[in-house]
Amino acid sequence: MMPRNRVLLVLSLCALAMCDFSTILTIAPNRLVAGQPVTFWQMGGGISSAIGAGCLVLLVLSFVPLARYAEYIVLILALAVLLLLLIEVGARATVSVIFGPHGTRVSLGWGFWAIGFCLAMAIVDALQRLKAGTLARLVVFAVVIAGAAIIAFEGLFDGLSIAREYAARRDEFDAALGQHCVLVAIAVLLAVIIGAPLGLYVARQPQRSAGIFGVLNLLQTIPSVALFGILIAPLSALGIGGIGAVPAIIALVLYSLLPVVRNTEAGIAGVDRGVVDAARGMGLTPAQILWRIELPLGMPVFFAGLRIVTVQAIGLTVVAALIGAGGLGSFVFQGIGQYATDLVLLGALPTIALALAADFILALLAGFFARSRS
Amino acid sequence: MSRRLGAETLSIRARRAALALALAFLLSLTAALPCVAAGTVVVASKIDTEGALLGNMMVLLLRAHGIAVDNRLQLGPTQIVRQAMLAGQIDLYPEYTGDGAIFFARESDPAWHDAARAYALVKQLDHDTNNIVWLTAAPADNAWAIAVRRDLAQTQKLTSLADFARHANAGGTVELAVSAEFVDSPGALPAFEKAYGFKLARSQLLTLIGGNTAATERAAAEGISGVNAAMAYTTDGALAVLQLQLLADDKHAQTVYQPAPVIRGAVLAQHPEIQGILEPVFRSLTLERLQQLNARIAADGDAPAAVASEYLRANGFLR
Repeated sequence: MMPRNRVLLVLSLCALAMCDFSTILTIAPNRLVAGQPVTFWQMGGGISSAIGAGCLVLLVLSFVPLARYAEYIVLILALAVLLLLLIEVGARATVSVIFGPHGTRVSLGWGFWAIGFCLAMAIVDALQRLKAGTLARLVVFAVVIAGAAIIAFEGLFDGLSIAREYAARRDEFDAALGQHCVLVAIAVLLAVIIGAPLGLYVARQPQRSAGIFGVLNLLQTIPSVALFGILIAPLSALGIGGIGAVPAIIALVLYSLLPVVRNTEAGIAGVDRGVVDAARGMGLTPAQILWRIELPLGMPVFFAGLRIVTVQAIGLTVVAALIGAGGLGSFVFQGIGQYATDLVLLGALPTIALALAADFILALLAGFFARSRS
Repeated sequence: MSRRLGAETLSIRARRAALALALAFLLSLTAALPCVAAGTVVVASKIDTEGALLGNMMVLLLRAHGIAVDNRLQLGPTQIVRQAMLAGQIDLYPEYTGDGAIFFARESDPAWHDAARAYALVKQLDHDTNNIVWLTAAPADNAWAIAVRRDLAQTQKLTSLADFARHANAGGTVELAVSAEFVDSPGALPAFEKAYGFKLARSQLLTLIGGNTAATERAAAEGISGVNAAMAYTTDGALAVLQLQLLADDKHAQTVYQPAPVIRGAVLAQHPEIQGILEPVFRSLTLERLQQLNARIAADGDAPAAVASEYLRANGFLR
């Protein structure tokens, strides 16, 4: 018998296997010692069984020829199982913390992440097969976020180690998140202010491009920790101060220049010469050609560069915590110093979420620009 | 022709405007940063557990005495915090007396192995060269050390480094988890080997890249790759939790690292009362107390500010 949906077959098989033997949670008596792995079999109970059963139904659905309806069922079922998974780990963590010693730590195991990934992919696959539009995708995304938010609001996640790391540093976290966003925003803005004119210049003077790109490429190859370190001495000598936000922003701008300059240049250079010639023939001035023809036509390529730069800057800002600039990286490095994985995650997961959100928003903006033009 | 000229001047103007904008941005950035109200004390710390603990104590104590504080705790590693201090970007932070050996490039001075002399030396040097004042240090000495698994300590009767040397020289199994720095810097493992007369082969060392004591201690506790001993700091809170026995350094082979509040002279002149506020608290911080407090942060995962506040209240330093 041939499966109807091979992607779903693989995903549901993986999820089912994980349900059987993988580590869903690890429970440790305190934050320092390695935890004991816990599987769904050891947990037992109704919700664990329901999650396993849900994965089994998904496996069956990958064979059933039900045309369009099958995808709706897959979508709803995968969503439901995903939310059940969140509820189950939350509930188990809470119980362990209540009955365990004072320092008890419950961390998410690799099985949780693997099953969650399989279910998320099943949802994405179903959406693709349904040829869902942006709005439908946003609705599904909102359902997942809202579900997780409700579970969190009900306090079900409070027992998880990462939530306890957050609870211990609520104010610090808010400040760090703000610092992170401000650092990235200023750096990207400055990179555009400096890089866009530079890209324009390179597009107009191609003979200079080798030298400029040579320097920018060289900057890109310096390891970030080294660049942050190198900046300390000269800035201190200038009296600006080698620690804090200023050297962080300077380093971030230096890294961001290459994609901005490269994509501005590529955007302008990629404009059809015939269109420019036609514009010139109609009597447009060079400035008019730039503003009305070249910039709008080059905008999609420029936006692609902006996406790269923003996501890259969000990641690099983590390292800036080492030179006193704050941001989410401070949790990552505190966590590494204390061998506290969940404290590292408290810095890393929001960084990933920020990067994904920024990428998504910029993609929407780019789509909006492209559509409004045509 | 005239149109073209007009376009060119326009683009030049646009370019100038962009340049001016960028400059204005940079200037506003530099102006916005160090703007701290006069009289405010900028308190910082290193990005580690004990730094968070001692830094929070300082912040709480100063605030309780009506001094405005700018909280810059967990600023970065030692070099960064020290540079910030020298540049006048921070006013007060906890530092270790033994770090003076590196700050003033005087690693070979024997004074660093004696608590009182180390404190006097670093106080003198920092005051004379940088107008930085070392306030009263804690009696606890957070030095580099070697800790062994408790089962090994019990079967082989190991309590001091002399015992450890005897065990190693008798061909007993030793597998020590270390950082590269601990092996290479003459003040660390080589100083132990010289003082106690033992020599570990490279094959007896498991070097963890970028290793800190949290990683080496955990390796020993879990017996990863047969590791049964670990590089440690004497005030580490993890030792008791991880069932590790600290070996006593009876011959003082190590540099003394007593934590002390370090303050810029100019700021101390403005707030001379800070000396009296911090002194009784630092005097109370013994090795055992620091180990217990660090353990609450590292092992139980309690917030450093809460641990600091509880200690200060329980001992009558805060009401």
